[in-house]
Amino acid sequence: MLKRDEWLDLARKLDWDYSYVDEKEIFPEVPSGRPWLPQAVWRDWDEPYRTSYTEYVTNQHAKDASVYAVRDAVGRVEDAQKLDPSWLNALKLHAATLPLAEFAAVVGNLRAARFGRDSAWRTTAAFGALDEFRHTQIPLLLMHELVRWDAQFDWTHRFFHTNNWVAIAGRHLIDELLLAANPIEFAIGTNIVFETGFTNLQFVGLSSMAHAAGDKMFEKMVSSIQTDEARHAQIGPPVLKVVIEHDPAVAQYLVDKWFWRSWLFFAVVTGFAMDYLTPLAHRTQSFREFMEEWILDQFQRTLDEFGLRKPWYWPQFLSALEIYHHMVYASAYTYRATVWFNFALPGPDERAWLRAKYPRTWDLMDPIWERVTERWRQSGPGVEWYSHGATPVTFCDLCQLVLCGGTPLYNTAQTLAYEGRPYIFCSEPCRWIFQREPERYAGHKDVVKRILAGEAPANLLELVRHYFGLTPGTWGRDVVSGAYPWLAG
Amino acid sequence: MLVPLYGFLKGDTVGLVVLVHHDHKVGQIASSLQQAATCRVAPRPAAGVYFQGKRLDPDLTVADAGLQALDRVDVVPEDS
Repeated sequence: MLKRDEWLDLARKLDWDYSYVDEKEIFPEVPSGRPWLPQAVWRDWDEPYRTSYTEYVTNQHAKDASVYAVRDAVGRVEDAQKLDPSWLNALKLHAATLPLAEFAAVVGNLRAARFGRDSAWRTTAAFGALDEFRHTQIPLLLMHELVRWDAQFDWTHRFFHTNNWVAIAGRHLIDELLLAANPIEFAIGTNIVFETGFTNLQFVGLSSMAHAAGDKMFEKMVSSIQTDEARHAQIGPPVLKVVIEHDPAVAQYLVDKWFWRSWLFFAVVTGFAMDYLTPLAHRTQSFREFMEEWILDQFQRTLDEFGLRKPWYWPQFLSALEIYHHMVYASAYTYRATVWFNFALPGPDERAWLRAKYPRTWDLMDPIWERVTERWRQSGPGVEWYSHGATPVTFCDLCQLVLCGGTPLYNTAQTLAYEGRPYIFCSEPCRWIFQREPERYAGHKDVVKRILAGEAPANLLELVRHYFGLTPGTWGRDVVSGAYPWLAG
Repeated sequence: MLVPLYGFLKGDTVGLVVLVHHDHKVGQIASSLQQAATCRVAPRPAAGVYFQGKRLDPDLTVADAGLQALDRVDVVPEDS
């Protein structure tokens, strides 16, 4: 009987020379990706895990059994009810944005499992697709139990099916990155930047935060998912290596584009959770510290390893790291009824912590919270509308997120006329991405343009109810409706 | 004719849609935007409206100031 290493490559490394058809007919450039290179160039493609199907099934079965055990032990409504109400909203935010994005990644992986240019790549991508099914199902399964207690958890499944502004932004990112990308762009954008650069390490951080918050179920969920991400993310490096050898400009562009787009997404989802929704007593580091320690160091090493440059917008990125998620959080707090989770108002202790963690920018943000606090003091608890905006906000024509770039002193929104139509972007990098492929993005309408086209109501309450898909039972509020002990004093 | 503008108030965190009439005075843009942002930024008695880096005469109409739909305007409180 053959030993594992003697038969493994017969199963996962099985390419041959085509005699009946041309290689370009089997792997056309559009679905296979650019640069199109003959298979011989990809022949040495390999990744370190070299998993067999039997090993994959055995390992995944054990991981699922472990998740089920934790769900059975601590996944009941009564367990969730013991968690801090602020933390629960970090859970709702992640639970909604995660599962159906993972489902889109099934499609991206399956395209690579068909059109990836080497058989080992295709094999690993097939496992990646199975991983992503699992990452879809785990949060759907775990959060379903909580829906009967709190209807906002219904957004775990509902979120991506709505026209909520965050879902529009999420789809704009996910559709391009996961549903539409060819295997080369998918490998660089998803496996290298999004997974190796962000989620693989972010999940380690999230797991640690969940542990500190006493949320064993979420901790188990993200740590279990992370072990899969670490494996299938290994598709990226050998693809990037070949692309750099043959078309370094394409490689640099894809890294630059997807780092910026991924950054904006993570700043909102993880920045909110780390700096606002995790109770102060359970915070181990700020979002900026986490990014610098885990994400930037790893990304820098990846760039160095491949001989790539830092993205041209690096100074803008470092500035944004100091304040962007604060700008979005303060804006979203005052438009909290437009989303499906609740917000915590930072009190004196939280603001002192934020000042210590963001010494270069917090002085610019603090007056906003002073004003919001003053409004709560004037209205008293329970009067949500008095600290809530009523005028539609503006959105970026690339990332579809709110125009919160820059600082309160100067918003970095950039305008552009393209084929006679006006566009606006939250930042120079978003405008740059649009200008590189305008035909890809120009037809997409942001929320404001949908309102102006008569496709969505202009009245904010109508917009929230009839377009964003929220109800009085699900729209976001302050976590305690302004009834903070420190506010009464 | 209604003219929707992208309005940015100095001191605020997000751009807002400001809907003005073409024969409204430019000064009304400042008061409308400050009112829309009031839960985050306290309104000030005086504020200038800037378009493409230039301060607009507050007594000009929106049309005479050359503002068109989806232009960016910045409102800067004068005592800041």
